[in-house]
Amino acid sequence: MYPLKTAFSSLGRNAMMTLASIVTIACCLFLLGVFLLITFNINYIGSQVSEKCELQAYINEWTSDLGEERILKEISALPNVDTAEFESKEQAFENARAMGEEMDEALEGMEGEDIFRSSVKVTLKDLTLADETAAQMAAVSGVAKVNNRRDIIRKVISVTNVIRIGSLIAMLILVLTAIFIIRNTIELSVHAREEEIHIMKFVGATDSFIRRPFVMEGIIVGLIGAAIAITVIAFGYSALALHAESLRDVKIYSFSETAAPLIVGVLAFGLLMGGVGSRAAVKRHLKV
Amino acid sequence: MIEFRDVTVIYDNDIVGLENVSFKIDDGEFVFLVGKTGAGKSSAIKLMTGEIKPFAGDVILNGVTVNTLKPKKLPYLRRSVGVVFQDFRLLNNKTVYENVAFAMEVVRASKKEIRRKVPTILSLVGLTGRAQNYPGELSGGEQQRVCIARALVNSPAIVIADEPTGNLDVETADEIMKLLMEINRMGTTIVMVTHSEKIVNDAHRRVIQLESGVVVRDEAEGGYSCVPS
Ligand SMILES: Nc1ncnc2c1ncn2[C@@H]1O[C@H](COP(=O)(O)OP(=O)(O)OP(=O)(O)O)[C@@H](O)[C@H]1O
Ligand SMILES: [Mg+2]
Repeated sequence: MYPLKTAFSSLGRNAMMTLASIVTIACCLFLLGVFLLITFNINYIGSQVSEKCELQAYINEWTSDLGEERILKEISALPNVDTAEFESKEQAFENARAMGEEMDEALEGMEGEDIFRSSVKVTLKDLTLADETAAQMAAVSGVAKVNNRRDIIRKVISVTNVIRIGSLIAMLILVLTAIFIIRNTIELSVHAREEEIHIMKFVGATDSFIRRPFVMEGIIVGLIGAAIAITVIAFGYSALALHAESLRDVKIYSFSETAAPLIVGVLAFGLLMGGVGSRAAVKRHLKV
Repeated sequence: MIEFRDVTVIYDNDIVGLENVSFKIDDGEFVFLVGKTGAGKSSAIKLMTGEIKPFAGDVILNGVTVNTLKPKKLPYLRRSVGVVFQDFRLLNNKTVYENVAFAMEVVRASKKEIRRKVPTILSLVGLTGRAQNYPGELSGGEQQRVCIARALVNSPAIVIADEPTGNLDVETADEIMKLLMEINRMGTTIVMVTHSEKIVNDAHRRVIQLESGVVVRDEAEGGYSCVPS
C-alpha cells in the first residue's frame, strides 16, 4: 500500500494545485468528450444526408409498365445499389406539390400534364463509387438520363472528412495539453520528494518502485477529471439529444446509445494522460 | 571485491577525472582514498556506485562489471553497496527509526524483517535511545551514525564513504572512525575518502593516493602522506 498512501498524502500536500489541475483536466476531457460525440455523430448524420443524395434515373416517356418494371429490376441488381424505388410521374407531381406552398401554387390545376417523368430513385452502399454506378444506370436501356448529384455527394464526403480530421486534431491537442498539465502538477510532488528519491536510488530501489506512487497520483488526477467531465457531458448531451428529437431532417444518437463508448473513451484518456504525464514528471529525476 | 582496470574518466568539459587507474581491493579490507582537492577521489567513488561511467576501462564489484551493467540491473548492485554521505542526507520528516526502515521498505523487505533488523542496527551504531527522535534533534555525530545505520541495514558487502567525517569535529570523527573499524572487523569491506591526516595516520590501514587523476601511491598500512625515504 506504500504507493497509494504516498500518492494520496502527496496530493493532499499540494491541495490547491491538485484541485486546479483536476479542474483543468476535467475541462480538457470535457472538450475531448464533446469531440468524441461529434465524431460519433458525424458518421451518423453523414449517412442520413447521403441517403437524401440519391441517384435518380429518369425513364423514357414511351416506356411501357412492363418496361418500367424491368428497368427497376436491372437497376436493383447493380452491385453498389442499396435500395431502388420506382416513382411514377403522378407521384413525382404529388411530391413536388408537397414540397412547399409556392410549389403547390405554381402546379395548381396542372394535374395530368406531362411535366414530370417516371424515375427510379436509388440509394448507394458506397458513396465514393457514385460516378461508376451512375454510368451503369445510364447504360440500362430505357433510361433517358441519370441525375447524378455528384457535387452534393462530394460535399458531404468532404465536409464529414474535414469535421472528422478537425476533431482528431483538436483531440490530439487536448491530450497533449492535459499530459503537460499533469506533468507539471506531479513535478511539484516529485520536487517535494527529491531527497527521498535520491536516497531510494542509492539504497537500490528500482525505478518502477520509485515511479509508482507518482504514476498513481497522475492516474488519480486523470480519473477524477474524467469522472467530472463525464458527468457534465451526460447532463448536457441528454438535454441536447432530447432537443434534437424535434428536428425533422437530422437525427443524432441518443445519450444511451453513446454512453458506453463515451464513458470508456473519456476514462481511458484520463488514465492515459495521468500515466504518461506523471511518468514524464519523474523521468528526469531518476537519472542518478 | 572491488577492481579498477585501467579506468579513465573524462567529464563533459574534457576535464580528466581519472587516468588509467588500476587497483584491487579484497573482501574485508579497509582502504583510505586520499589526495588533494580535485585529485579524483569522488570520481572513483561515483564509479563504484554506478553514478558515472568510465570513458575507458572497467570497474568490477563482486564480479559484476558496473560500467556495462544494464540500467535495470543497477538497483540490485546498489543493494550490495552501502553509501555514507558527508552531509548525511537524512529525511527530516522521518524519525531515526523510520529513516533506517525506509532503506529496507524501498527494496521491499518484509515488515517482519524490518522490525527485526532496524533495532539491531540502531544498537550497533549506539542509537537505541534515539530511535524516535527526528534528525533535527540529533548532533552531527549522531546524524552520521544514522546514515551509517541506513547504509548497513540491507547488509551490503561493501560500504563506501566519501568524507564521512568532513562535517564533524575531531572527537566526533574519532567515534565515527571507531564505528567504521568495528563494522570492518565484522567483515564489511570499507572504502573511505578523507582529508584527515590524523585519521589515516592513526588507523594504519591501506592508503591509495591520487594526484590529478593518477594513482601515485598504494601502500598497505600507509600514512596520510608519503614517508620520505
Ligand atoms: N560533474 C563534473 N563535471 C565536470 N567536471 C567534474 C565533475 N565532477 C568532477 N569534475 C572534475 O574532475 C576532477 C576530479 O574531481 P573529484 O570530484 O573526483 O575530485 P575529489 O578528489 O573528490 O576532490 P575533493 O577532495 O575536492 O572532493 C576535478 O578537476 C573536478 O573539477
Ligand atoms: Mg570529493
